[in-house]
Amino acid sequence: MSTFREAEERFEARMLAIYVGGVTIFLIAPILLPMVISFSSSARIEFPPPGFSLQWYRAALENELFRRGLWNSLVIAVVCAAISTVAGTAAAIALNHYRFAGRSAVQLLLMLPLALPAVVKGLGIMFVLPSYGMSQGVLATAFAHCILGIPYVAYLVLATLANYDLTLEQASANLGASRITTFRRVTFPLIRPGVTAGGIFAFLMSLDNVSLSLFTAAGDTLPLRLMQHIQHNADPTIAAVSTFLTLAALVIMVLFGRTIRQRQLSGLKER
Amino acid sequence: MTAVAAPVGRRLRRAAPWVWLVPSIAIFVPFFILPMAVVLRNSFNRDDPLALMVEDVTLANYAEILTDPYYLTVFTNSIGVSLGVTLGTLILGYPFAYYLVRYARTSRAFLLWAIYLPLMVSVIVRAFGWIVITADSGLINSTLLALGIIKSPLIMLFELESMVPAMIHRYLPLMALPLINALGRIDENLHSASANLGGGRFYTFRRVVLPLSSPGIIAGSQLVFANVLSDFVIPNLLGSTRFRVLAPVIYEEAAVHVAWATAAALAMVMLVIVVIMLAASNYTFRRLAPWARNL
Repeated sequence: MSTFREAEERFEARMLAIYVGGVTIFLIAPILLPMVISFSSSARIEFPPPGFSLQWYRAALENELFRRGLWNSLVIAVVCAAISTVAGTAAAIALNHYRFAGRSAVQLLLMLPLALPAVVKGLGIMFVLPSYGMSQGVLATAFAHCILGIPYVAYLVLATLANYDLTLEQASANLGASRITTFRRVTFPLIRPGVTAGGIFAFLMSLDNVSLSLFTAAGDTLPLRLMQHIQHNADPTIAAVSTFLTLAALVIMVLFGRTIRQRQLSGLKER
Repeated sequence: MTAVAAPVGRRLRRAAPWVWLVPSIAIFVPFFILPMAVVLRNSFNRDDPLALMVEDVTLANYAEILTDPYYLTVFTNSIGVSLGVTLGTLILGYPFAYYLVRYARTSRAFLLWAIYLPLMVSVIVRAFGWIVITADSGLINSTLLALGIIKSPLIMLFELESMVPAMIHRYLPLMALPLINALGRIDENLHSASANLGGGRFYTFRRVVLPLSSPGIIAGSQLVFANVLSDFVIPNLLGSTRFRVLAPVIYEEAAVHVAWATAAALAMVMLVIVVIMLAASNYTFRRLAPWARNL
C-alpha cells in the first residue's frame, strides 16, 4: 500500500515537473529572446537571425533620444528613491511606534495608491499640475512616482519592524542617548535591510514606470522613448537596449536579491 | 524642571507620530489625494468641442459612456481580458507554486529566481520579447514554417494572440507569489493525516490543499485582475486596434482628443469596477469560506 502511494507520488512529481518546466520556459524565453535578436544582422525581427552583428548596439548608443531618456529616467528614479526612502521609513516608524487616533486610516491611505489603477492616478496628477505651476517633466514625474515608492518602502520597513523590540529604544534613552542618537545608533541599523530593499524597489519601480510617466512626463523618459520607438519601428535597436536593461536588472538582483527576497517573503508571512 | 516639562512632553508625544508622517503627507496630499478628488470633480464637467473642459455639474458623461456601444464594448473587452488573464495565470501559476513548495529540492532556488526575474526586467523588454515570439517572421512562425506545418505565417502580432500571452507573462508572478506563500504554510503532516484517514490523493488535494490555499488564490486573482484592467503598455504595444481596452482608451481621450471630462468619467468607472471586484470577491470569499479568516 505504502509503496503504491510512493509510486503514485513519484508519478505526480514527474508530471508536475514537466509542466513546471514548460511554465519556466514561458517565464524566461520572452526575456532571453531579445538578447539573441540584439546580435542579428537583419533590420527586421527575424528568427533565427541570418547573421551576427553589433550594429544595433552602436545604433542604440548613438541614439540621442535614448541617451537623454536614460539620463531623465535615472534622475527621476534617484529623486523618487531618495524621497520615498525618507518618507516611507518615517511613515513606517509612525505606524509601528505609536498608537494614535486615525492610525488605521493613515495605514490604509498609505497603501491605497498600490491598489488603485495607475491610469486614474496619472490622469489626476495631469489635471492638477497646472494649478501647482508645474508642467509635465522630470520633477513632476519624480513626485508622482513617490506615491508608489512610499508605500513600497513603508511596507518593507514595517515588515522589518515587526521583529523589532521597542524596549531597545527605552534602554538607549535610559542610558542617556538623545532621540537622534537613538535613531542613528539603534533604530536605523536594525531596520536598515528593510530601508535598503525599499529604496531599491522604489528606484527600480520608477525606472520602469510607464503608466504614471505617460501623464506626468514630457514623453522623454527611457521607457516612453523605447515605447515610441517600438510603435514607430520595431527594429533590433530595442533588443540591444533590452539586453542592456536586463543585464542591469540581473546585476541588481544578484547584488541585492537576497535582502529583497528575504524581506519580501518574511513580510508576506507576517501578514 | 520635570513639573513644567510634563504637559509639553505629553503634547509632544501626541504630535510625534504626525511629525514622522510629515514627509508622506507632503507628497500624498498634492500628488494623490487632490488628484483623485479632481478626477471625480472633472467627471461631472462638460467637454466643449471648441475649447477645453467647461465647468458644470452633470451626469452626461456617465450617461454617454454607459450607453454608447463603443464604450460599452471597451468595458466588456477589458473585463473579459482581465478575467481570462486571471484564469490563465492561475492555471500556469498554481501547479508551479505547488511543485515549488512540495517537490522542488535542488531546483527550488532556480524556480524562485525564474518567478522573480520578470518582476525585475523592464515591461518594455518583455513586451518586445513577445513581439519577437509572435511576429510574422518571429519564433513561432519560423518554427512552424520550417516544420512545414503551415504554409504562410499566422497573424498573431497586434491581435489577442499576442496580447493575452504577454499579459499572462507580465502578471504570472503576481499570482504565483501569493500562492507560494499560501501553499508554503500548509503543514506537510496534513497530507499524511488525510491519507491515513483514507483520503486519496485527489481527495486530499480537493478537500485539504485547495481550501487551505484559497487565500492565496483570492489575493493573486485580485492583484492580477486589477492590474490587467489598468494595463496600458501591453495593449498599446501588442494589442489590436479592433479590440480596444480601457487604459489606452482613457489615455487617448485625455491626451489625443483632449476630452478631459470623458476621460475622468471613464477613469471613475474603471475605479468603480476595481472596487466592486475587490469588495465582491472578499464578500463571497468570507461567505463561502468563513474559516479562512483564521488562516
